Amino acid sequence: MAAEMALVKPISKFSSNLRPKFNTPRTVSYSIRMSATPTTTPTSTKPSKKPNKTSIKETLLTPRFYTTDFDEMETLFNTEINKNLNEAEFEALLQEFKTDYNQTHFVRNKEFKEAADKLDGPLRQIFVEFLERSCTAEFSGFLLYKELGRRLKKTNPVVAEIFSLMSRDEARHAGFLNKGLSDFNLALDLGFLTKARKYTFFKPKFIFYATYLSEKIGYWRYITIYRHLKTNPEYQCYPIFKYFENWCQDENRHGDFFSALMKAQPQFLNDWKAKLWSRFFCLSVYVTMYLNDCQRTDFYEGIGLNTKEFDMHVIIETNRTTARIFPAVLDVENPEFKRKLDRMVVINEKILAVGESDDNSLVKNLKRIPLIAALVSELLAAYLMPPIESGSVDFAEFEPRLVY
Amino acid sequence: MLGMGTLTLGSSTTMVAHTTLTSSNTLSGTKRHNLFNKTHSLPINFTLFSSFNKLTMPLTPFTTAVASVQSDSVSSSDAPPTKNELSKYYFLVANAKFMLDEEEHFQEQLFERRRYYGERNKEQDFWLVIEPKFLDSFPEITKRLRRPAVALVSTNGPWITFMKLRLDRVLAQSFEAESLEEALASNPTNLKFEKPDNWVAPYPKYESGWWETFLPPGQKEVNS
Repeated sequence: MAAEMALVKPISKFSSNLRPKFNTPRTVSYSIRMSATPTTTPTSTKPSKKPNKTSIKETLLTPRFYTTDFDEMETLFNTEINKNLNEAEFEALLQEFKTDYNQTHFVRNKEFKEAADKLDGPLRQIFVEFLERSCTAEFSGFLLYKELGRRLKKTNPVVAEIFSLMSRDEARHAGFLNKGLSDFNLALDLGFLTKARKYTFFKPKFIFYATYLSEKIGYWRYITIYRHLKTNPEYQCYPIFKYFENWCQDENRHGDFFSALMKAQPQFLNDWKAKLWSRFFCLSVYVTMYLNDCQRTDFYEGIGLNTKEFDMHVIIETNRTTARIFPAVLDVENPEFKRKLDRMVVINEKILAVGESDDNSLVKNLKRIPLIAALVSELLAAYLMPPIESGSVDFAEFEPRLVY
Repeated sequence: MLGMGTLTLGSSTTMVAHTTLTSSNTLSGTKRHNLFNKTHSLPINFTLFSSFNKLTMPLTPFTTAVASVQSDSVSSSDAPPTKNELSKYYFLVANAKFMLDEEEHFQEQLFERRRYYGERNKEQDFWLVIEPKFLDSFPEITKRLRRPAVALVSTNGPWITFMKLRLDRVLAQSFEAESLEEALASNPTNLKFEKPDNWVAPYPKYESGWWETFLPPGQKEVNS
């Protein structure tokens, strides 16, 4: 689960403070740095706050941890209740995950420490934050998949094992990133994260939409960075990028599994509500990524990318991939869509500037109100742009007449 | 159980009748026959997991195969073919532009699998076949294909099922053949894809011709 979905908060009657009992992974014995706040701009005259271990400050765009209705999940994947489960497809996926293409690949070498020692100044700080956020996002995927694997074991052993194998992949990714942080004399206390973070509740339906998108957009982000750096090695500032080619195939396969999950629940794909939710999640994921990346444009420019061009490429390709399963997607190639994203970036920058000003909290909140209203207005307008009808050929009424 | 291919087709698809391909073992003179007589060793333990044995027929090793050029016209022999001489092949097929030019992740997956097989000393069990001859046995599929067509063929049924899920815009089926050479026979075709007018990705396109690595032995294509 490579991408972040911070803006996604569908209305739910359940408390977002629900804290399921997850198994606590072994604590890493490194000095701990817990930072979830955006990087302060170099021009800020305000002294930076000392990192606070005991509370994690979350902003609008912080990576989130997720939990779900596990009882409903069990009902959805009970083969006696749900006759739509395509067992051949899940068996095929299980074989694919058991193959474990990356079992021997995420092995570090001395290049890592050498490269880290050469990184100094602002780029070092920016890079550390990239590792932290990526590690947190991968770890949140690990927790969710591991719990689903545990809870579905009796109901549907095949689906349960696939979730467990996906959590293996995510744990491997998170571990690799955390070891990278050790090159910078830092480490995330993943055990602490498990207990201390607030969990966002998502119904299973939303887990499917959101997680599918997260995995597919993760594939496109990693493969784009990898292919760019392969042809521009002068920007290869840290060896972790060399592993992105193999890494991103894990993300892509995870997305395929969520395709199969959604196909097994046609009610999530075949009516007007499904189309509205599909578009909602596309918008949320794309906007979150665009705002996050533009906020950290120094990182992407530091590795030789144009941030907005990178993001638009990722959005267009992710949207094209998503059109193979979601019943409707956004028209992201309409130039108006990018213009709206760029206006949101400007609004977001102003919101951040208000937060960093010296005003008291009451004045800050008053100043934020019109900015948030403007952001909501742009989001709504983007959502209401005419969508593109889409979906798997397996569900297309016109399939017998399709030419391949 | 019906062939794996039928399970991967959408429910609204017209069901394609399962066809068994057999080759007439016509000899045409000792001298000419010797020119085409080859020894093939088919993979024996290619099944990755024993739990899938029921989904994949065990293979019997062949030591001799009749040249496929002698069996352009496929005909059934009167006697039922001996079971242990037939292998089952699963395939996905679509137009070549989609598979080889537009779907760049497809290339990544094939190279990943090839690398994995190399690391674990596994025999290759998947190939790309451009303009495959076995399509002649599937008129319902053939009439829905833009040409030139390319097929991904494998003896690993579940993997083809997985690839159908990934690619979506492909047709899937299966057939039986006496030899690998027969199964992977193709009609010569030169592939040439136009450069995209507007390539905006922040990296270059994969080089044309990447698929030659996966063509059956002896069928390397002249890429103009």
